[in-house]
Amino acid sequence: MVGTGIKRGTAELAVLSVLEGGPMHGYEMARRIEQQTKGALRFTLAALYPMLYRMEQQGWIRGTWETSRNGRRKRCYRLAPAGRKKLLPLRREWAELFRALQRLTKVADA
Amino acid sequence: MPNWHELVRQRLSGLALNDAEKDEVHAELAAHLEELYEAFCNEGLRQREAVQRTLVQVADWQNLQRKILIARRREQPMQKRMYQLWIPGFLTLMVSMIFLITLQKFGFQPRIVGSGPNTILFYAPWLSSLPFIGALGAYLSARRGGLVGTVLLSSVFPVLALTAAFLLMFPIGFVIERVIGRPVDFSIVATAILRDGIGWILVPGVALLTGGLLVHLLFNRRSWSKETAIG
Repeated sequence: MVGTGIKRGTAELAVLSVLEGGPMHGYEMARRIEQQTKGALRFTLAALYPMLYRMEQQGWIRGTWETSRNGRRKRCYRLAPAGRKKLLPLRREWAELFRALQRLTKVADA
Repeated sequence: MPNWHELVRQRLSGLALNDAEKDEVHAELAAHLEELYEAFCNEGLRQREAVQRTLVQVADWQNLQRKILIARRREQPMQKRMYQLWIPGFLTLMVSMIFLITLQKFGFQPRIVGSGPNTILFYAPWLSSLPFIGALGAYLSARRGGLVGTVLLSSVFPVLALTAAFLLMFPIGFVIERVIGRPVDFSIVATAILRDGIGWILVPGVALLTGGLLVHLLFNRRSWSKETAIG
């Protein structure tokens, strides 16, 4: 499991990345992130929604109410242009950080 | 199956958003919990266990409420401070002062403790009203998503203002000394501050803080009891 501090930093990247694949609602998003990271990243309701609302206020994602096939109303989130723009530098920053950490741990192991 | 919408509505009842926004948040979170609960049931968990596993999603509803408020409000830090501290604080100050002036107007006599220069005055009806006034300040601050520190500061705001006023006695004494050309005895000023500090700051501060702490504890206890009652 990844530590709490790093998780917090990766949370936005995780949400933006998963929304890049298409619009989805909160529950589906949490499930998808957990599956794709093999359980390393798990979002509880209490962690997910305040972050989604904040990202919506920042204009990175957009939420709209939709009615599913079984008649349930769900709030669906999709990536906004500002979020798509944010995703690339975020990915680059995290890739750089992980490469740096890998180099560091290799040096330490050697 | 539990009524998830009702559960969320009860636990996030203090969400200080407009009705439409509040309904949206309640509906969205309830839908999430409902789906999760159904997924647990489909995995073969018994209803009671599924409810418990679902409720694990939110350890502290009060904290979630605060986080949602912060996230959904487009307030600047200054605005936030205004609603969480300054407005509840000044309201507490105004209410406590108006009540004290009213008591004095109606001829309520203070209770005198000590004698001579060490006399301390206590307005018993005023002091007994302070826990309620402190509770009011704390409640207003907590409703706007104030943290514990801000909530308690809002409740004791009147005595903070009085402390500032008392401390101003030193520089004012210094100015008077310059104007009248006669030295002011600062030991008298210090004694007055100490003496009046007990009657006007320390005791009222404790009374206000008691109200503030009670509100804080009640808010926390309410969310805790709701969490343990269902499941």
